[in-house]
Amino acid sequence: MRHRLVALLLLLAFTVTTAMAQQGNQQNNILPYPIHQKQLDNGLNVVTVPYNSPGLAAFYIVVRAGSREEVEKGKTGFAHFFEHMMFRGTEKYSKEAYGDIMKAMGAAANANTSIDRTVYHMTGNAEMLDKMFEIEADRFQNLKYSVHDFKTEAGAVKGEYTKNSASPYQQLYEKLVSTAFKKHTYAHTTMGFFEDVVDMPNQYDYSLTFFDRFYRPEYATIVVVGDVTPERVNNLAQQYFGDWKRGSYKPDIATEPKQKETRYAHVKQEGFPPYLSLNFKGPAFSDKDKDLPALSILSTILFAENSDLYRKLVVNEQKARFIGGGPQFSRDPNLISVSASLLDAKDMQYVKDELMKALQDAKTKPIDAQKIEETKSRIKYSFAMSMDSPDAIANSLARFIWLSGNPESLNNIYKVYDSITAQDLMNAAKKYFVTETMTVGTIAPTEKSPVK
Amino acid sequence: MKKIAAYILPVALLAASCAKQPQASQPTNTQATATTTTATAAPFDANQAFGPGKVVELKQPESNKVIIKLMFKNGSMVDPADKKGLTYTTAQMVTESGTQEMPVAQIKDKIYPWAANYYANVDKEVTTFTFAVHQDFLDEFYPIVRGLLLQPAFAEDDFKRVKSNQQNFVDQVIRASSDEEYSKKALEDLLFRGTNYQHVVEGTSATVPNITLDDVKKHWQNYFTENNVLIGIAGNYSQDFLNKLKADVAQLSDVNPSIPNAAEPNKPDGVQVEIIKKSDALGSAIFTGTPMPVTRSADDFAALMVANSYLGEHRKSYGKLYDKIRTTRSMNYGDYSYIEWYDQGGSFQLPNPNVPRTSNYFALWIRPVQIAEGLKKQYAELDTIDVGHAHFALRLAIREVDNLIKNGMTQEEFELTRKFLRSYMKLYIQTTEKQLGFLMDSRFYGRQDYIEEMDRLLANLTVEDVNKAVKKYWQTDNMFITIVTDDSEAEPLKQALLNNTPSPMSYSNLVKEGLPQEVLAEDDVIANYRVNVKDVKIIDSKDTFR
Repeated sequence: MRHRLVALLLLLAFTVTTAMAQQGNQQNNILPYPIHQKQLDNGLNVVTVPYNSPGLAAFYIVVRAGSREEVEKGKTGFAHFFEHMMFRGTEKYSKEAYGDIMKAMGAAANANTSIDRTVYHMTGNAEMLDKMFEIEADRFQNLKYSVHDFKTEAGAVKGEYTKNSASPYQQLYEKLVSTAFKKHTYAHTTMGFFEDVVDMPNQYDYSLTFFDRFYRPEYATIVVVGDVTPERVNNLAQQYFGDWKRGSYKPDIATEPKQKETRYAHVKQEGFPPYLSLNFKGPAFSDKDKDLPALSILSTILFAENSDLYRKLVVNEQKARFIGGGPQFSRDPNLISVSASLLDAKDMQYVKDELMKALQDAKTKPIDAQKIEETKSRIKYSFAMSMDSPDAIANSLARFIWLSGNPESLNNIYKVYDSITAQDLMNAAKKYFVTETMTVGTIAPTEKSPVK
Repeated sequence: MKKIAAYILPVALLAASCAKQPQASQPTNTQATATTTTATAAPFDANQAFGPGKVVELKQPESNKVIIKLMFKNGSMVDPADKKGLTYTTAQMVTESGTQEMPVAQIKDKIYPWAANYYANVDKEVTTFTFAVHQDFLDEFYPIVRGLLLQPAFAEDDFKRVKSNQQNFVDQVIRASSDEEYSKKALEDLLFRGTNYQHVVEGTSATVPNITLDDVKKHWQNYFTENNVLIGIAGNYSQDFLNKLKADVAQLSDVNPSIPNAAEPNKPDGVQVEIIKKSDALGSAIFTGTPMPVTRSADDFAALMVANSYLGEHRKSYGKLYDKIRTTRSMNYGDYSYIEWYDQGGSFQLPNPNVPRTSNYFALWIRPVQIAEGLKKQYAELDTIDVGHAHFALRLAIREVDNLIKNGMTQEEFELTRKFLRSYMKLYIQTTEKQLGFLMDSRFYGRQDYIEEMDRLLANLTVEDVNKAVKKYWQTDNMFITIVTDDSEAEPLKQALLNNTPSPMSYSNLVKEGLPQEVLAEDDVIANYRVNVKDVKIIDSKDTFR
């Protein structure tokens, strides 16, 4: 008890200083609310953002394990499958009991998995925060399911694959990543290769290994936003997650070798809008380097609805219904995608040439400074307007937590955005828009890709 | 264009995530200014919510933005028979074609640094324009809003582009993007066949080509008028601003539009099934529906909400259908029930506002289940089957509804479900825009504040009320069912349904060996459960929505 009290006092002191320090330079931050952080002794990071939403709080747990961590052959799609298993109960709370508690809380709760992470989230009554912590701490530490439950859940995952794969876009995406990446785990989608999805019922033992590896405090961050105080959140985190044991596993994720020539991925599909995507190898996320922000600003300028190219291809010539693009924010180097939905597959080569020409021009022709400023303004106002709920804020923070481990990356990267110049845009274009690292994706009625 | 854009988004977006179920959306915390409520809705005439001086206000002085919504009482049901899709084209032309003073390209340039945005959403009975801007730019943005409403450009070039996208949507995208969304739209086609509610809002392959720019101009003049509009405004605005907005909206066309009554759904004779076959479908996507004459305007809706939630709340893992079909039997990704239109259910966990409807039906959504071809490939022990899981899943779902009608909910189930709903409904209105949207929908249904009023009704509800309402409004003898499936599955499934053939659940040995005896025993009952199938048709995918 005495230990706990001392810990509590220390914790309060720490929280207050952190909060004050952060409020000190809050004015320069894109997020107008201080981000309170506390790391427990076991490595679990706890993030709190008080926000004026009486009675309402968003409670997120970000686990930095996604399909990126699926390094073993035959185990693709497992992070996602495992996310499903997290709803299968513990000794204390069976899946039915968990369901009843969720129902009684009336919260909007769910989870999702992506390449770099798995996120569990719950938005509901802030007064129920204690219960939220209790049930989440229980399943994150004491998950227990039968072999039968495991095999049964595999059918639901296959059903999810079935539902998604009706879309030709999903079919192309699968082909595209496996073509663009040969060694790195980004070669498979988060759903996994179909043969691995089909084999999932046989992987019970592996699922225990997976839980043991990744559902550990050093992989996790708790985020609470809304009608809460950091003290309350930190105390609850200590109370319910304080005994969670660290693990030791670190995946060995292969580096993708440099791509040396253009690759192609094609889906033959009749009776569907032809689609073209040009995918270049891009940088990994960093909240200090200029590359990603420069690529984001540049692609906004090149492909937004008021861009020259959009006006030419979509508005005037009406050969494309849509063009767009941008870099993917991810932990390891990933793709910068530029895409177009076309009216007629016959125009695909022409549209591709136009897109390539715009990318080529960006290497040598400086973009007007005013345009750059307008784009920075757009990015900032768009963010400001979207931060209107605990859930929206928690979502934004979760993204930077999985990317860098630190929610302050959100504020940091917007400062980098502010510093971008016309020269930075040209540098990024030169560095990344090269045909050697490009993978061309197409959907068309033809047997082979209609573009060179 | 928002809806169509959603279907042609780039592959990059698909990379985003695999959600167990999709994301929740955003919260906020302000009060509606108009909160005079009545527990019982007056006789329901949606038209009364619209017209000169009708405004819904939601002042939020702490907000950094302003949202303006204009909802017109028209929707796709006012489309002329030979020009289905016209309301949609007209709404798109307002957002995609600029003003007489400022072409759309110039508008996009101007609002670009502000990240201001606007879009139109067309549903069966209303069209809603939404404008959102940061307060820093409200004064500069407003002349654009005004121009779009009072002097829309309706330029020829923009018309060509809008129509081409629309044609592409009804010809191709709708059939090929999502089988579950496809089966849902096909169900409405069947439920409302021959009526003003039948066609998808974007129109049909045959009618979109008939729409001319002149039609659009006339339609705007005749169906988007000061007499059928409801103004909504939320956020940080002044009274002066609202006065200006009201005065400008009053300058819309003064035509008194003739809005037809929303068609009633057709009455199915027995269970009538349409199987839509396409090549290379991996599963069978199922939607069922049957007329139900209750909407949010009726107090009984609260009772039905509880029953509905118990049976299968949208994208929740607590419902009976989800539990039995997905959790216990591993058959698909999810199964839910509905007592009103749920817009873009594949994408949203919480409901979208601004799609209010007076014509209603009760529906079940069974997400794609495995077909025989896929099961045979995966499991040697299923080598002899010729129908996949669709027949069994349908029987199971219908039996669950029957059980609820027959047995009702227990007091305990009722209490838990009601508790859930009273808290969960508050999450519908987490953002300014959603809150404003739901308040406007409330007026459509003759209510002041649906969320508050339902809460009060739920508080006073008893389990007897719920069980009585279920008996009164739900039945399964007469239903429409649409199934989108692979061409290899269509004929065997048709024969099985028509002949009421027993449909033992085709488990893999892996799953079957661990199932408790009571599940297997229940399976035997389900496999022989009689569904009142009277008619099954197979339609080729290319012949739908013509």
